[in-house]
Amino acid sequence: MAEEANFKCLRCGHQFKAPFSPKDEPQERACPECGSNSVRRIKEKAKKK
Amino acid sequence: MTDVGRHPRIELMTLSEVVDVQGYIGNFRVKVLRKARYVDEKECTACGDCLEDCPVTKPNEFDLGLSTRKAIYQPFPQAVPAAFALNMEECLGNNPIACGKCLEKCEKECIDYDMQDKEVEIKVGTIIVATGMDVYDPTELDEFGYTRFENVVTSLEFERLINAGGPTEGHLIRPTDWQLPKRVAFIQCIGSRSEKRGNPYCSNVCCMNTIKDSLLIKNHWPEVEIKVFYMDIRAFGKGFEDLYKRSKAEGVMYIRGIPGDIREDQETKNLFLLAEDSNTGKVMEHEVDMVILSIGLIPSTENSLIRQLLTLSRTSDGFFMEAHPKLQPVDAPTKGVFFAGCAESPKDIKDSVTQASASASRANILMSAGKFTVEAITSLINEELCKACGLCARVCPYHAIEFDKEKKLPARVIEASCAGCGTCGAECAFDAVVMRHFTDQQILGQVEAILEENPQDKVVVFACNWCSYAGADYAGVSRLQYPPSIRIIRTMCSGRVDEKFVLHAFKLGAPIVLVSGCHFADCHYINANRWTQKRVEKLWDKLEKKGIRPERLQLEWISAAEGLKFAKVMKEMEELRQGVTLEEIDYTRKEL
Ligand SMILES: [Zn+2]
Repeated sequence: MAEEANFKCLRCGHQFKAPFSPKDEPQERACPECGSNSVRRIKEKAKKK
Repeated sequence: MTDVGRHPRIELMTLSEVVDVQGYIGNFRVKVLRKARYVDEKECTACGDCLEDCPVTKPNEFDLGLSTRKAIYQPFPQAVPAAFALNMEECLGNNPIACGKCLEKCEKECIDYDMQDKEVEIKVGTIIVATGMDVYDPTELDEFGYTRFENVVTSLEFERLINAGGPTEGHLIRPTDWQLPKRVAFIQCIGSRSEKRGNPYCSNVCCMNTIKDSLLIKNHWPEVEIKVFYMDIRAFGKGFEDLYKRSKAEGVMYIRGIPGDIREDQETKNLFLLAEDSNTGKVMEHEVDMVILSIGLIPSTENSLIRQLLTLSRTSDGFFMEAHPKLQPVDAPTKGVFFAGCAESPKDIKDSVTQASASASRANILMSAGKFTVEAITSLINEELCKACGLCARVCPYHAIEFDKEKKLPARVIEASCAGCGTCGAECAFDAVVMRHFTDQQILGQVEAILEENPQDKVVVFACNWCSYAGADYAGVSRLQYPPSIRIIRTMCSGRVDEKFVLHAFKLGAPIVLVSGCHFADCHYINANRWTQKRVEKLWDKLEKKGIRPERLQLEWISAAEGLKFAKVMKEMEELRQGVTLEEIDYTRKEL
């Protein structure tokens, strides 16, 4: 399965999942709600085992 | 092609592969792997004696497997040089020698099993990329039965079938019974103009190729019934509409609708096409003897390698991107590199020749001048400040910065290669890069001027010259309104926007900062705006750590044609600005 990450739009606040892998080349991202490119990946905090 | 082979000032390197390209305009060093031909190309006269005894039989690639060839062969009849080549992977004559029949047969003793591949380095001033394209493989479109029915062929296979030099010597036959097909169907747009399977773009040549083929059939075999299934016929070139009309006048039937399904009569091997004619709304079944799939053109599989070798960029369709779609249509973004033919986009012979002539002229202008004037907007390294960390060289999309890791010498900008995006300047942590005409001092000066009075009422917008700034311009000429709080600072590329410019703006009380550049596919500096995105992402983290809302730094890709988007985004910026409190601004000033 393709890796996914959580993203947050810094314009409208919408949160969404999108395919993401740290190995990929950077891609242009847009918020599916408002179309803004101010899309920030929410890095998951290191999970405790 | 023969003329090229004979030209005293053209050295043709066949069976060769470019393995490395170093240097810059006027001074390229190209490493070429010259593969062993195992036949002396100067001595061989392609008499064909060696063929007779060669026991190896392989599908002939040029005839798309419709005929066979030997392990020693000439790739196609007019190949230059007119000499045979031996495919050593197929030959039985080497290591240990098991055959050697061609060697015995060749009276001129042209064959040498011990030939070796050679790597040579050549120095050139300019490079023209004319690496062509591939064709779409229709296997995935199973409804057309390309792999299931023998009488379904591609337009390229059909081209060989009706070529006088082809496997049937130009006699039109269908594969199952080698008889003249009485009813032929062409299906257009196979692998083209589809968002789901194949490619979204129009392949440019297929409509005219079908029209040409239909006329060719009608000229030689007027009794053959021809049906063309199409979405739209695109006959926009000089004389093309006339050809289309002629084809219709000759009785070729054009049916607007692509068949949804093809089935085969197992006995007769005839094919039944079910299609709706969108002009009449009627669904009809058409029985034909043979189907030709008009396949589209796709980027060459070698493009990614060539892209790396020459630091080129590609458009979203996978073809190479020109430096400017209107004003520099044959120039690559890398100076001294030009395009010809389908490497840049699908095109026909006439357009390829036009582009090739343009490329040759563009290259020739540079070569005969022997000198090249660079733009004044280039970067310069302040050697005293440079710590030789190499970051600037890493981010330069043009590999225009030389840097010796071992000797720890200051970085050096090759001005002939530098395109002036300024990404190096934004990346350098030691302020050692001077981006001429867009220096730190100049840009920080603009930030200060904007925020000198009532900074809380201003939105600082960094806009790249080619897209976002042009988008602002377009919004202006279209008389679109945007709020007066917007203050624009132009940089050549958004990649020039240094972290410290943004932080300085916040420090001076800016409520909102927007960094804007070209869409990824349009970046005028190959991929410099990828670094913009990375830098903004880093800044979001940094702001958050300091307790500053990352939302106050915004990012947007706006193209030159998106005046409307520009105005819309600016209104959104103003709304965001109104949401920033004076306390927040004060806190930010103290924190930074
Ligand atoms: Zn949004």
